[in-house]
Amino acid sequence: MPSESPAVPGSPPTAATAIETRGLTKRFGERAAIDGVDLLVPSGCAFGFLGPNGAGKTTMIRMLLGLTGASAGSMKLLGHPVPGERGIALRRVGAIVEEPRFHPYLTARKNLRIVAAVRGHGAAERIEPSLARVGLAERADDKVKKYSMGMRQRLGVARCLLADPLLLILDEPTNGLDPGGIQEFREMIRAMVEQEGRTVFLSSHLLDEVEKICDAAAIVDRGKIITQGPIAEISSGGDGARNELNVGVDDVELALHTLEGSETVKEVHRSDDGIRVVLAGELQSAAQVNASLVRAGVGVMRLEPVRHSLEQRFLEITSRLDEAPGGAHHPAPAGPHAAPEEASG
Amino acid sequence: MTAIAVRMVGVDLLKLRKKRSTVIWALFLALVPLLIFFVVNAVQHASDPSKHGPAGGVENFHTGLRLIGGLLFGPLVAILIGVEAGTNDASAGVFRDLVVTGRSRLALFASRVPAGLALCWSVIIGAYALILLGTFVFAGSEPTPGGALILNSLGYLLLATGVLCVVAVGFSSLILSKPGAIIALIAWQIIATPLISSISSLGSARDFVLYVSLAHFSPIKLDGGKGTEVSLAGGTGALVIVLWLVVFLGLGAWRTRTMDA
Repeated sequence: MPSESPAVPGSPPTAATAIETRGLTKRFGERAAIDGVDLLVPSGCAFGFLGPNGAGKTTMIRMLLGLTGASAGSMKLLGHPVPGERGIALRRVGAIVEEPRFHPYLTARKNLRIVAAVRGHGAAERIEPSLARVGLAERADDKVKKYSMGMRQRLGVARCLLADPLLLILDEPTNGLDPGGIQEFREMIRAMVEQEGRTVFLSSHLLDEVEKICDAAAIVDRGKIITQGPIAEISSGGDGARNELNVGVDDVELALHTLEGSETVKEVHRSDDGIRVVLAGELQSAAQVNASLVRAGVGVMRLEPVRHSLEQRFLEITSRLDEAPGGAHHPAPAGPHAAPEEASG
Repeated sequence: MTAIAVRMVGVDLLKLRKKRSTVIWALFLALVPLLIFFVVNAVQHASDPSKHGPAGGVENFHTGLRLIGGLLFGPLVAILIGVEAGTNDASAGVFRDLVVTGRSRLALFASRVPAGLALCWSVIIGAYALILLGTFVFAGSEPTPGGALILNSLGYLLLATGVLCVVAVGFSSLILSKPGAIIALIAWQIIATPLISSISSLGSARDFVLYVSLAHFSPIKLDGGKGTEVSLAGGTGALVIVLWLVVFLGLGAWRTRTMDA
């Protein structure tokens, strides 16, 4: 667990919401890179900020960290308004923006010493544990110019850990990593959330990565948040009770006729390899569907729940946006965490 | 200064000290011309003492001081180190990583100045030690400089190179381009400065040239007594130096505070 320091005056409180933005906007001339974003990132989870390249993810992160100013709106980090209390808010925030950069002619340890001196607040004492935490203790006296991309990413995380962060903000953290490095990185992020109680805000254009690492996510496109909430809710279209079955049958017509009007079935239609059934209730009612079909004399060869993937949902959302007149963004169904207005612009 | 400020200056100095190319060039520019000067004079004196005087003594001390405290070598050292201090973090791409610590950008800018000065003055003091060494070792029968001249000369060297180093920190923090800042400052120092100083029709406007104001505080005539120096009142010289410092520190701090990191 990250150490708490409630006794230290001005230290960030443990906020229920790690990141909160209201109407956050960033304009470059006429173009809005971020357009009225309301975002809520709960504490103690891995939160994915998902969107295609150019969607505004890095701009959003840069605003949160005070690297660039916002054109409108408000934001809070760990309960502190930014930029008003930026210094206090960032005291317990670690961040990697785009690729992690270092002074290449200095050793890893000296690079961390530089940031620790700027941070203060005991950061210097965390240099060795941070290097050990990311597995670089034995290479800490090598110059960073000799490091691979994966090692630089890990050193970037070590630099974040100097803050003993309650919140880590990572921008496309697996860029340039090989599959082994990605797996290692995932495990490290999950451990930070589950074992150490930190909040991780992770931006990515890789759906699979967000789905594997994160508990919740927001999908952003063209500067707007389309939907946000737990991964399972987003994947199922924001309706947690939407359970579907793929059923392989020997007589499709009879199966459709049998299930239409059934209380346990909300929708049923033909699919490529049988029928697709949307259940009215929980997945357990699949047994009743099977029994109804068998009673009606339909041979059931296969019955499997449909697993909704984030990728599927993401493509649904973005294709819906493309279909909208003038490419305008239309509201998409979302879970209880969905922001009420941001998808409507 | 607070403990954190001291540590920040310490790590800024570490970054500069470890930047091998800058340190090597600074040492080369500060020491090699002096070494050549004293060694060549010593060899000439040894080969023909009747024609060539000793390589040391007060006259050669003046020449050594002109080499470092004049328009070229000392200023080049100050410019190289000042520009490195001003652009080091931005050119390595780590400025944003320092900003996200929550530390004020003004504090990040401010720590560059003493760090740059510390390295610049270390190199200049090394060069001055070499001047003194040559002056006394090769003095022979020539008179040697007195204590007051030695101290005043050191003070002048530290002032002249220190002011230029701070101006270089501010200017390079403003334009954020290492090559651009070096080229512009060197061009100003070795082309524009002598040119403007030589245009007598400019009159007292020449007082605003930094080198003119700095030269006013030199204990010796930096033009070797050729009468090309612009004369100005001591108060004016100090005012112009302060003006240069305030303008360039202000611009560098403003850019550091407001730029997208």
